[in-house]
Amino acid sequence: MSTEILLQQCLIGLANGALIALVALGYTMVYGIVRLINFAHGDLVMLGACLALSLVEFSGLTAAGPVTTWIGIAGLVLACGLFCGSLNVLVDRVVYRPLRGAPKLAPLVSAIGVSFIFMNVGLFWIGPADRSFPPLVPATNLLAGDRLQFTARDLLVVAIVVPLMVALTVLVRATPLGRAMRAVAQDPVAATLMGVDVERVIAATFFLGGFLGGAASVVHGLTITTIGFQMGFLNGLYAFTAAVLGGIGSVPGAVVGGLVIGLVRALSSLLVGERWTGAVVFGILIVILVFRPEGLLGRRTVDKV
Amino acid sequence: MSERDAERPVRGRRSGPFWPRTRTWLRRHWDLAALALLAMAPAVVPALGGALGGQVTIVFISCILALGLNVMVGSTGLVHLGIAAFFGIGAFCHAILTVPTEPFRWSFLPAAALSVLITAGVGLALGAPTLRLRGDYLAIVTLGFGEVVKVSLRNLEQITGGMKGLNPVPPPAAGLRLGGVDLGMQFAVDPRWFYALALGVLAVVVVALRRLERSRLGRAWMAVREDELAAAATGISASRVKLSAFALSSALAGLAGCLYAACLSTTADPNAYDFNRSVMVLCAVILGGLGSIPGTLLGVALLVGFDTVLAPWADAAIQQSGINPGGSMLLSFSGWRLALFGFVLVLVMRLKPAGLMPSRRMAAELREARA
Amino acid sequence: MQRRRFTMSALALTAAAAGCRPSDPGVIRLVSSLPRTGSAKQQSDTIVRGIRLAIAEAEGRVGAFRIEYLDLDDATAAAGQWTSEAEAANARRALQDPDVVAYLGTFNSGAAKVSMPILNLGDLLMVSPANTAVGLTKPGLGDRGEPEIYRPTGRRNFVRVVPADDLQGQLSAEWAWRRGIRRVVILDDNEVYGKGIADLFEERCRELGLTVLAHDAIDAKAQEFRSLMARVRSLGPELVYFGGTTQTKGGQLAKDMAGAGVEAILMVPDGCLEQVFIEAAGPANLEGRCFVTFGGLPPEKLTGKGMAFVEHYRARYGEMPEAYAVYGYEAAGVALRAVRDAGVKDRRTITDAALAIRDYDGALGRWGFDANGDTTLRTLTVSTVRDGRFVFEEVLEPDASPATS
Repeated sequence: MSTEILLQQCLIGLANGALIALVALGYTMVYGIVRLINFAHGDLVMLGACLALSLVEFSGLTAAGPVTTWIGIAGLVLACGLFCGSLNVLVDRVVYRPLRGAPKLAPLVSAIGVSFIFMNVGLFWIGPADRSFPPLVPATNLLAGDRLQFTARDLLVVAIVVPLMVALTVLVRATPLGRAMRAVAQDPVAATLMGVDVERVIAATFFLGGFLGGAASVVHGLTITTIGFQMGFLNGLYAFTAAVLGGIGSVPGAVVGGLVIGLVRALSSLLVGERWTGAVVFGILIVILVFRPEGLLGRRTVDKV
Repeated sequence: MSERDAERPVRGRRSGPFWPRTRTWLRRHWDLAALALLAMAPAVVPALGGALGGQVTIVFISCILALGLNVMVGSTGLVHLGIAAFFGIGAFCHAILTVPTEPFRWSFLPAAALSVLITAGVGLALGAPTLRLRGDYLAIVTLGFGEVVKVSLRNLEQITGGMKGLNPVPPPAAGLRLGGVDLGMQFAVDPRWFYALALGVLAVVVVALRRLERSRLGRAWMAVREDELAAAATGISASRVKLSAFALSSALAGLAGCLYAACLSTTADPNAYDFNRSVMVLCAVILGGLGSIPGTLLGVALLVGFDTVLAPWADAAIQQSGINPGGSMLLSFSGWRLALFGFVLVLVMRLKPAGLMPSRRMAAELREARA
Repeated sequence: MQRRRFTMSALALTAAAAGCRPSDPGVIRLVSSLPRTGSAKQQSDTIVRGIRLAIAEAEGRVGAFRIEYLDLDDATAAAGQWTSEAEAANARRALQDPDVVAYLGTFNSGAAKVSMPILNLGDLLMVSPANTAVGLTKPGLGDRGEPEIYRPTGRRNFVRVVPADDLQGQLSAEWAWRRGIRRVVILDDNEVYGKGIADLFEERCRELGLTVLAHDAIDAKAQEFRSLMARVRSLGPELVYFGGTTQTKGGQLAKDMAGAGVEAILMVPDGCLEQVFIEAAGPANLEGRCFVTFGGLPPEKLTGKGMAFVEHYRARYGEMPEAYAVYGYEAAGVALRAVRDAGVKDRRTITDAALAIRDYDGALGRWGFDANGDTTLRTLTVSTVRDGRFVFEEVLEPDASPATS
């Protein structure tokens, strides 16, 4: 086996991993703040993709020139981000917020319920069959020669994902909102006592997670170019796994987890066979968690006596 | 649950001999009463001899599966997202031991017994290394395990038949003759036999779990759920207690799997044992009320009953009524099925966050937490 | 009062659910069991339309009986595809209803394995418009014990109007050989149908001396196959064979194949022969490089009764029939013919009448059933994709096969 194919798989793995990471951020941020595994997040991304498809079809972006196309894509990211963010906040307000003091598993079941409702909306929106997303960005190779492929679509993933992650890191590290988020994640009661409006912080977190999910839905549509009402499930499963692998609640952890899962999938397709990829990814997850129960970058929690 | 409910039995005991006492008993053991009623149903409802019988049997089997999960999630407080994997291992073990195309060709009972032992063993093997994981990390490991099992079942064709599954799993009592009647054939022809078998097993499981709940082990489970450190301080070995829950939970899931394979006469394809089923069963347990046996039964009856009994019936009813001549998705029941399902989950959790029928202990805790 | 009314209506509902409808001697009922929710809905839609057309052309009557039709779903929304539970329930439902004399289905071969043994107990005729797995009828070609294990009574009750996979897999390999192709990569979706046909294709390839560079299976729930296609590209095949359907990601596979720069041609079986496949893959990715095999002639090549079928279908539904519509039409036709031949409302007599059909003059031409209940039609056609549409390419005859090397 040549190193070329190995390198090629790594490139593909990293591009896919970046997409997984973008979705994983939505899981990890919400979990960090309210300790809820938001099962509906994958389906939220699916609804974002439905909106993106409708917008592209409606605006006739397919026929536009290159400059307009790139502006259009930026607009799509913004529109879908806003849509998913607002929807996420709305769901939190209506469904999860009344359950803040309830038994721990009640919001989990509600989230599963919301995911079913989202799927039904998607079913009526784009129909039962998979839909092709117009290929706004061609899959042309940017590298010289045809031995290695790094396409314009891979570049697009980088161009959308990296700035978003930088912005998010700055936001969490260096703004008052970020400080409030970290405070609530550590101890909501203490944060309240310090004058932090916890509900506002939670809403902001849901919005940010949803926004990133909306951006991910556009990236998904443009690079994988197929969407369907059931796509949320697997997207969510891998992203959720990435979040836990990296250490759930940790923002850099979600990114690392996403990239690791992308790489493992690509390499196991090459080395073990495509049919075993699912087992390899989850097998590695189990092994890592057995030896490092807090995830790759997670902090060890101490039991309170 | 309000305080009025707690008072009622007392008033009943004071006022009369028979009915009030029966009422007290019913209030406490209504799940057993319901099972008794269901046992009489085939004599009254002829439809149980047809498709309905098969569908209701699936609901019973799901009840056993959910009770197994309840041991983990409800009694011991360990979140488990891969129960379907054990269901699948049970089904496939049973099939390998019984189908005519494999060399073993055991009869139902020994095959089921060994399959249950194997699934319990697999449960222990998964439980032992993951004991120190807590909460959501354990949930994700069990989820991952479920996916690994599904992919393996699909790819190990020489053993599991891959997507074809193993087929045909003989019914219990195959080849057994009683007074000139081929009992195996009876099982294949009339769903009421399986109905009775599944209901009988379910009743045994319910009674056994009720006794277990009050036993030393049952209390130890609850102690670990409430506070692992405090439990350890009183001399309970938390890891042994958790492992026993793992094993029992897996064993019950395996038992349900055996019945499932025998009832469908095939293991079905490995997709029948995927994450969807795990989530469905978990929802049923939580919806009914964590740790409560009657609650679990009610939750399964609602959720699984919705999917396997109500939805097909409603679809056919709408079709035959001629409301929807064009076959539009918007006018069909199945078009709205997911959303209905979702709304039920969201609404029940909103109105009764502890579940429809929480165990007394859980309800008390919730009141305390609110106070 | 309110409460009592509720109880009454609940009772009425239970009675209806219990199927307490009295049997009507003047009515025969056909049921179909196809995946009506989820991803295979489009294909099952066309089959159901074919069935409805056949019944409408008979003016709702056959002999002395009035025909009723019930379209059952063997998929669930939660699963998004057929499930064993739903299929078993459909079969039991049909068996229990004394008016049902024929069961038209299934779409997925795996589902047939569930319902065949159940229906066999009641000698209920099962006519499949789409099951192609060889083991369902042909002794010795499928798994050990097939097909006897599906006949607990030892009697037969299953016929199919569609040619089985042994023909399709084999002729596809021969077609590739004749085209001068020597290096192939085989992929399948790990389903009963897709894997079955891919295995048969591989077997014939090896017999003919073609090099099989790899045979891997995909996860039909995966989103994309770029890693896989990068590997395929490094192997340098001349042809990629995909045993699978549109629902198991045939379109995505074609898309990623083009995206990864694999320059081989793509060959797929009839599970992909539907317009949605072209839409899912993107027409440009298939243009001139994708070949689809199909048992029977494409709608536009049908003659005689077949042409009449296409015209009536277009008149009624406003579009060209998809490939499987004609099989739905033919399956219903066979069931009605069997009822007419039998003349009585008795399941065994009707089933025997169907098994005895040797000369059927239908939309697919003149054909009959052989001793196994398989169609005698042996015509296979290859179509390619041009300008976003399937275009007929050539007819494959089993007799013209090259010598085994």
